[in-house]
Amino acid sequence: MSTPLLEAYKKMFLIRFTEQALVELYLKHKIMSFVHFYVGQEAVAVGVCNNLRKEDRVLGNHRSHGHYLAKGGDLRAMISELLGKEGGSSKGKGGSMHMIDTSVNFIGSTPILGSVVPLASGAAFEQKYNKRKDITAVFFGDGAFEEGVVYETLNLSALFALPLLFVVENNLYSVNSTLKERRSANHNVEKIVTGFGVTYLKADGNDYEDVFEKARMLTKGIRAGAGPAVLECMTYRHMAHSAPIFDDAAGYRQEDPLERRLERDPIKKVRRSLLESGIPENTLVTLEEKIRTSVAESIQCAVDAPYPKKETLYTNLYA
Amino acid sequence: MPERIIKYSEAIQEATDQMMGADPRVFIIGLGVSYPKGADGTTAGLKSTYPERVFDVSVSEHGFTGMAVGAAINGLHPIVHHGRVEFSLLAADQIFTQAAKWNYMFGGGHPVPIVFRINVGRQWGNGPQHTQALYALFGNVPGLKVVIPSSPKMAKGLLVSALKDKNPVVMLEPRWLFNIKQNVPVQLFSEPLDKAVIIKEGAEVTVVAYGDGLFSARESLALVGDTVDIELIDIVSINPIDYKTIFQSVKKTGRLLCVDTTNGAFNVGSEVIAQVARNKSIKLKSNPVALSCPNVPCPTSTALTEFFYPTKVDIANALLSTFKKPLINQTLSFEELHLAPTDTIQ
Repeated sequence: MSTPLLEAYKKMFLIRFTEQALVELYLKHKIMSFVHFYVGQEAVAVGVCNNLRKEDRVLGNHRSHGHYLAKGGDLRAMISELLGKEGGSSKGKGGSMHMIDTSVNFIGSTPILGSVVPLASGAAFEQKYNKRKDITAVFFGDGAFEEGVVYETLNLSALFALPLLFVVENNLYSVNSTLKERRSANHNVEKIVTGFGVTYLKADGNDYEDVFEKARMLTKGIRAGAGPAVLECMTYRHMAHSAPIFDDAAGYRQEDPLERRLERDPIKKVRRSLLESGIPENTLVTLEEKIRTSVAESIQCAVDAPYPKKETLYTNLYA
Repeated sequence: MPERIIKYSEAIQEATDQMMGADPRVFIIGLGVSYPKGADGTTAGLKSTYPERVFDVSVSEHGFTGMAVGAAINGLHPIVHHGRVEFSLLAADQIFTQAAKWNYMFGGGHPVPIVFRINVGRQWGNGPQHTQALYALFGNVPGLKVVIPSSPKMAKGLLVSALKDKNPVVMLEPRWLFNIKQNVPVQLFSEPLDKAVIIKEGAEVTVVAYGDGLFSARESLALVGDTVDIELIDIVSINPIDYKTIFQSVKKTGRLLCVDTTNGAFNVGSEVIAQVARNKSIKLKSNPVALSCPNVPCPTSTALTEFFYPTKVDIANALLSTFKKPLINQTLSFEELHLAPTDTIQ
């Protein structure tokens, strides 16, 4: 049996378990890349991407394992990339901050804050230029929302009425800096966005169904030619900015202490809903086990795979 | 072929027009490119021919440059125009960190076919923030191809090549040259993006120059006359640099003069001289000579800019003094020093 919520759960669980498995690899020093973990934000990636078709495009940022997997990116190629292997999605040249799988129109992720936003507008520009019916979604955080180029792109994408969904994942912190340290008390994202003539909705980023529903409304409008929209998702980043550690001891997390983060865990919430809807726990345990096995196989494959050859240092500079 | 003399700016316009006609993926975006005499004439009339493909745009260099890079990643072939190099710096992230890295950092197979047309200022009264000649900055970034057209013919041929290439190409256009004229073929033709051009063959000294400096170096040939047998090379590309042509020449002549129209530190001439010095098969007969601008911003008053750029007389005298010949004592007129040339070149 399958329901849309069950399918969403599978994707969210895949993202969560993959990253949990990566923690172990990270601590064993097998990972050859800076890593920003997505744990806690899975409802955003899956809630948005479940409103997208294969032809639709997605671009992401430094924290994009979830976006990549939610769009259908190849798991083995991703893990190989994190391990710095020849068979990685970027042949070991990109690492965690440069996810790509154009076979499913995951166009790329790039970690300089805000930079991906105009790039995504270019993907949408091409869709409009060639009169395609598809749309583009771009994921970035509350930190990137403070970059000037985001405002430039809001204006430009509204001017050109681009088929573009801006997804702002507001996890309250830019590295360890709180919103209070970065924005005035009167700062208002909705007013900024709507001031550019761009549609705005806010979602509970810890609630898959809320993200899905708001993304559904916005993507429907964008497909109909209504121009760009912003979906701001309030969510929690369970781990530190970078590296797989819980950094509550650092003292900056006044807004979202660990118990609150765990209580609002989006995966737990979907699981509860599934059980309440009558899906037997056994079914969930079986499919979780299946995902665990598949991730473990992918990791083993990646671990056994060869590293890139020295000569490839010099290849691919030009297309 | 009948002679057809056009200006540098018209040659750029013609290449753009012809390539837009040949390739529907090509579009142009930049401030004022849709004006009737847009971008100093380099986009004149294009808006009426291609109303859907010429985009005047918000004053948001980072934003619209990034949008164009994103469009290139997804298969279009944009021309991004920045009327001053200073404004392109607002988009440095997109040029240097995104476009230049994209194919490499994703392991190949992810081309970024885009042309950044960036004007380098050198103009009467433009001052410190409109005249920076940041050639070396662009030459320093792997993943870009960087060319500097020195003539109307090169401007057309290089732009055509850039628009047929799959990679980000930066075309640094010295505004100083926009009104010089030359016989330029009407039909589409291309000039290689990675080859230096020997403008004049000679046996005694190699002069390496580019853009507006090459123009002055051409003029210096007449001043020097038969006194010194000069081989004049237009470097054309500063990424990659065609060392094969330069080394062959310097091996033959044993002498090297580099002309830069930018500050003396870390410039194109420094790089060429360094590579020549490291080449064990080259034996120089005299120390290499570098002419460039002083390490100060370019001021505004012509009373000061008079001493800023190397002139044809400076170049001639640098050559003559290498050969211990009598120097030329010629005073240049205000027009020669400060107004952009309108000469017709061969």
